Amino acid sequence: MTKTSRRTTLFGFTAALLAMTALSSAASAQSISMTYLIPSGADGVAVAEELVKSFEAANPDINIDIETRPGGSEGDNLVKTRLATQSMADIFRYNSGSLFQAINPQQFLVDLTNEPWQADVQASFKQVVTAPDGTVRGAPMGAAMGGGIYYNRAIYEELGLTVPKTWAEFMANNEKIKAAGKVAVIQTYGDTWTSQLFVLADFYNVSAADPDFASRYTANEAKFATEPAALRGFEKLQETFEAGLFNEDFGAAKYDDGLRMVAAGEGAHYPMLTFATTAIAASYPDMLDNVGFFAQPGDDAASNGLTVWMPDGIYIPQTTSNLDAAKKFVAFVASVEGCEAQTRAGGASGPYLINGCTLPDDVPPAVTDMLPYFAEGGQNGPALEFLSPIKGPALEQITVEVGSGIRTAADAAALYDEDVRKQAQQLALPGW
Amino acid sequence: MTLIRRYWLSALAIIFSGIVFLVPFSFIILMAFKDRTQAQLLDFSWPQGMHLWSNIVEVVTTRNWMLLTAFINSTILTVASVTLLVIFAAMVGFVLQRRKTRFNGLIEFLILAGLMIPPAVVPTIWLLQGIGLFGKLHGMVLVEIAYSLPFSILLYRAFIATIPREMDEAAIIDGARPLDVFFRIVLPLLWPVTVTNIVVQSVAIFNDFTNPLYYLPGNANATVQLTLYNFQSQFQTSYNLLFTNIALITIPPLIVFLFFNRQIVAGMTAGAVKG
Repeated sequence: MTKTSRRTTLFGFTAALLAMTALSSAASAQSISMTYLIPSGADGVAVAEELVKSFEAANPDINIDIETRPGGSEGDNLVKTRLATQSMADIFRYNSGSLFQAINPQQFLVDLTNEPWQADVQASFKQVVTAPDGTVRGAPMGAAMGGGIYYNRAIYEELGLTVPKTWAEFMANNEKIKAAGKVAVIQTYGDTWTSQLFVLADFYNVSAADPDFASRYTANEAKFATEPAALRGFEKLQETFEAGLFNEDFGAAKYDDGLRMVAAGEGAHYPMLTFATTAIAASYPDMLDNVGFFAQPGDDAASNGLTVWMPDGIYIPQTTSNLDAAKKFVAFVASVEGCEAQTRAGGASGPYLINGCTLPDDVPPAVTDMLPYFAEGGQNGPALEFLSPIKGPALEQITVEVGSGIRTAADAAALYDEDVRKQAQQLALPGW
Repeated sequence: MTLIRRYWLSALAIIFSGIVFLVPFSFIILMAFKDRTQAQLLDFSWPQGMHLWSNIVEVVTTRNWMLLTAFINSTILTVASVTLLVIFAAMVGFVLQRRKTRFNGLIEFLILAGLMIPPAVVPTIWLLQGIGLFGKLHGMVLVEIAYSLPFSILLYRAFIATIPREMDEAAIIDGARPLDVFFRIVLPLLWPVTVTNIVVQSVAIFNDFTNPLYYLPGNANATVQLTLYNFQSQFQTSYNLLFTNIALITIPPLIVFLFFNRQIVAGMTAGAVKG
């Protein structure tokens, strides 16, 4: 090979490399192109795809591209990074409540207070996407969730049990299930976050006994350790452990195992948030009808009610270049057609927070069981994390200790109050 | 008997490495054969029924054939980054080793700093936005080169020290210009360490997850590691599809390495004077 030809080859190769890298970023042209960033996962993607499809059918001049991101703390970092570098998608889905406050909504998100569709959004959702200056900056995406206890209907039928309205009835059911040689309560500390449910889902009972607890708690006047109503959540966890009701592998089992066990009847009760209904429907479709749901019982049957978690919101960053089209899409999501598209794609996992949205008749029993709490005469209230910005980061470790019999309820509540203090001081709340 | 006495240690090593490499790999393959309900158990069991093909079809067609885009992107990213990385690192290593100036200390400090100081994401994005390369594949290539350069330079510099200076001088006497000395004399002699570089860096860049996640947003820019998140989320994971995806993106590099195995081993054991 001569010198020149070798050099030509080298230059040719370099040029080819540059050409390859340049080519691959060609963009497709359409009248308006937008991006919509959602957390990954097959269920969420299916819902987003159906929403986009219905929206594009109604607005043929707008084209929306769905992007996904990881969930959890990696996702939090990504969202903050992309907001800070002005590279956020035109519309994005993210948590409401305390995580929403952490992305600095006033600085980064478009104010949606005066949009016409806000009239149909329920007030309970608006308060969890309201920035500190009182402006509403998001629309609800998805259905409301309840925190409570999944139960296996086949076991209940076999043993002739009824859904408990008080904690005493619940423990009596557990004793009968245990006497029949079955696992009464499923716990899965392989995923530590699942251990918090007995404490978090008890909050409706706390606020029923003490309506001001959340505000006094934020002001450092009420404590888990000193308020008997609040301490009950920890005590309930301790009681179930001491009664020996758990599955044998409760320390190592994972969330997925818990869903399988309650669906297949390997255990009778699994305390969980109702978003798990979609996961059960996807993994164990033929066992879905075995699974029912009830709110975590309190001490008084008359004040039995459900602790509610708000769904994610969708938001528009101020950096978007397609503000009108983005607002159109958000308005579509917050409309009755939007709810219908979500139901078509993912099945209904609970009631929507848009007035006028209804659920189809063929929803799974776990969802039907949830509806009375939202209907006329039913009782529900938001979880503590939507009423107070304080949630200690170590709660899941503490509840694992209580649920494993390492720490007593009173001791754990005191430790959690201490854990919470650090976060309240970081947030610079008055009174701490 | 003597056979056993002579080879028992080798046999033990082979069995041990077989367990370490083959057991996880067979787990991936077994999971890829299962349906969702069985895969959710996450155990080491024989698949009930044959679901491999439907899993593959679902994984490949998910999100509008995203996996194919991802393969193209990852291939371009890996090939382009490693090629440029090898050329640049060898050049820097050569000059740094052969030419002593008073800046050498400073340059060596900068290289070590690049190795030790963790890169910050947000300022890097600002820089990329400033030069118009954010969210573009060639910008990502430059980022990967920058992150891997210090390590490669160190490898090359140490190796070039073993090549006698007389070789360069002989070439110069025969009339070679500086670029000829590098590309026609030195670079071929660096083949063993170049192979090491190619293997180490292409594995690292092909498997990189966080950098493409932050610097390459957008579906058109997905790389293979990012496709894993199509089947995995905080509260719901389809293990059968996830493991099928893992198998699909593990096999191509594996084939490449099997295919080039002879060259790689030959390169690593080659003597100094060759080519």
